[in-house]
Amino acid sequence: MTALIEVENYTWQYLNAPQVSLNAIDLRIEEGTFVGIIGPNGAGKTTLAYSLDGLIPGQYRGIKHGTVKIRGREVEEYPRGQLQQKVGLVFSDPEAQFTAMTVEDELVFGMENLGMTIPEIRERLEWVTELTELTPLLFKPPYEISGGQKQRVALAAVLAMTPEVLILDEPTSMLDPVSRKRVFDVLAKLKQSKNTVIVIEHSLENLIPLADRMLLLSQGELLLDAETRAFFQHMDLLLEKGISPPGAMRFFHEMAKTGRYAGELPLSVDESLAKLETLVASRRTANGEMA
Amino acid sequence: MSNQNQFLQVINLNYSYPDGTQALKEINLDIKEGEFLAFIGQNGSGKTTLSKCLNGLFKPTSGDVIVDGLNSRTTPIVQMVRRVGYVFQNPDHQLFNSNCWDEIAYGPRNIQLPGDQVRERVEEAAKVVGLPKEYFTEHPFFLSKGLRQRVAIASILALRPKLIIVDEPTTGQDARQSFEIMDFLRDLNEHHGHIIIIITHDMPIVAQYARRVIAMGQGCILADGPTSQVFTRADLLKQTFLEPPQITQLAQCAVDMGFDPGTLTIEGMLAQYDKLG
Repeated sequence: MTALIEVENYTWQYLNAPQVSLNAIDLRIEEGTFVGIIGPNGAGKTTLAYSLDGLIPGQYRGIKHGTVKIRGREVEEYPRGQLQQKVGLVFSDPEAQFTAMTVEDELVFGMENLGMTIPEIRERLEWVTELTELTPLLFKPPYEISGGQKQRVALAAVLAMTPEVLILDEPTSMLDPVSRKRVFDVLAKLKQSKNTVIVIEHSLENLIPLADRMLLLSQGELLLDAETRAFFQHMDLLLEKGISPPGAMRFFHEMAKTGRYAGELPLSVDESLAKLETLVASRRTANGEMA
Repeated sequence: MSNQNQFLQVINLNYSYPDGTQALKEINLDIKEGEFLAFIGQNGSGKTTLSKCLNGLFKPTSGDVIVDGLNSRTTPIVQMVRRVGYVFQNPDHQLFNSNCWDEIAYGPRNIQLPGDQVRERVEEAAKVVGLPKEYFTEHPFFLSKGLRQRVAIASILALRPKLIIVDEPTTGQDARQSFEIMDFLRDLNEHHGHIIIIITHDMPIVAQYARRVIAMGQGCILADGPTSQVFTRADLLKQTFLEPPQITQLAQCAVDMGFDPGTLTIEGMLAQYDKLG
């Protein structure tokens, strides 16, 4: 069966770049999966996002090997503009995609471009403004609202086109905690309704509860690709690659390294607390027996 | 001065923007030599406005800011920036020269130091931030973000301010780059006699590096104390929409087992685990 996204032995080198940005990537993403991509800056995360959206090789010059297929069809084979209906990309800098003078026009722009009917546009506009809680801002200019609101407008504008896969490139790296939480609230709703979502993100504490699967990129290589829980059992590799996993997980990793804990590393504070309770209780029982 | 190692004093400071918005309300703050502080709070809480009052860019609407014995109301900005430096969140907002040398030399030239002193200060600042000489003729925009941030910090250091405020040093950086920048700021604090204030939303970074936390909300100081103490005040953090680092959260949930709710590091947590009965 063909997966929604199929990347095979894919290598990309930007024109005049000294080395490849992505090297022999193999990747399959099935419909309805929520994928998190992490890795140090310069690892090739954004290049991968651009490759799935057809910006590479469409808008960038370079050397490509291997294939990138969306719904079984290579990205180059799509007529101009059609791939972007299937793959929606939200940039880390929302202003990079703004063109209109009001939030409402911004949201409608993409849909008008797709040639949708007015009743259809109206219906989707209502759905997307509710989902991203933008109703009070519809008539404001996009440049007058806060950074977090801008990011939700950028997200909503892409969502309104109902792409089959949504890719977000560090959507919250420039946001404060409240705005960050609101963006992740929207992503949680998208996960609930079984959308295919790919998020590049440094904020692991927000990403882990949502991601079904995680990818680690480093220096253009896909070093790790696993279901989220299994992914974080490779703690030594993650730390070596400069990833800083959440503290509770790292605590159990240290415990495990020194033989004080054996088992899976916990993914959340709640899981950690339960494991800590068991450990402390069994130690107290053991000490009690000795006494 | 009453206290010999006190460097900065904020007394009943109020600040309103020209449109009437009151951004700071009755701020009182003492900062001593050798301190490493973090300003935390959501966007719009007044952190950046307060920083701009500390370096004299904004004059108080009422109240006073006294830096190194000088009142910011009556002291020319040229004198203020030699004492309090402010590094922008985005280094690209402050870099505007066509090579790194001119960038770092801009401040010393601006305060009209003679040429040999300008050279001395540029070389000194570049050395402290670890910027190799071969970069002096490079255009800052061809450097990595981490290096651009170092050039931005060097251009502030060249004015030799005692107090350096760094606005969101780790935003947009990955974990390794964040630790590099923070280790560098710690080195400035511990070995070069600078007072450091970071403005940040990154609570694990605060826990690891800052010894004192000022939590702000709606223009007021909500809490001011040692990092571990401020992090134990869950009600207050909720008000600022911040969460303590995960290791602190775990310790706080495990208080019944005997863990300290002010735990800040994994090492601290491990040590406590070993001491449990």
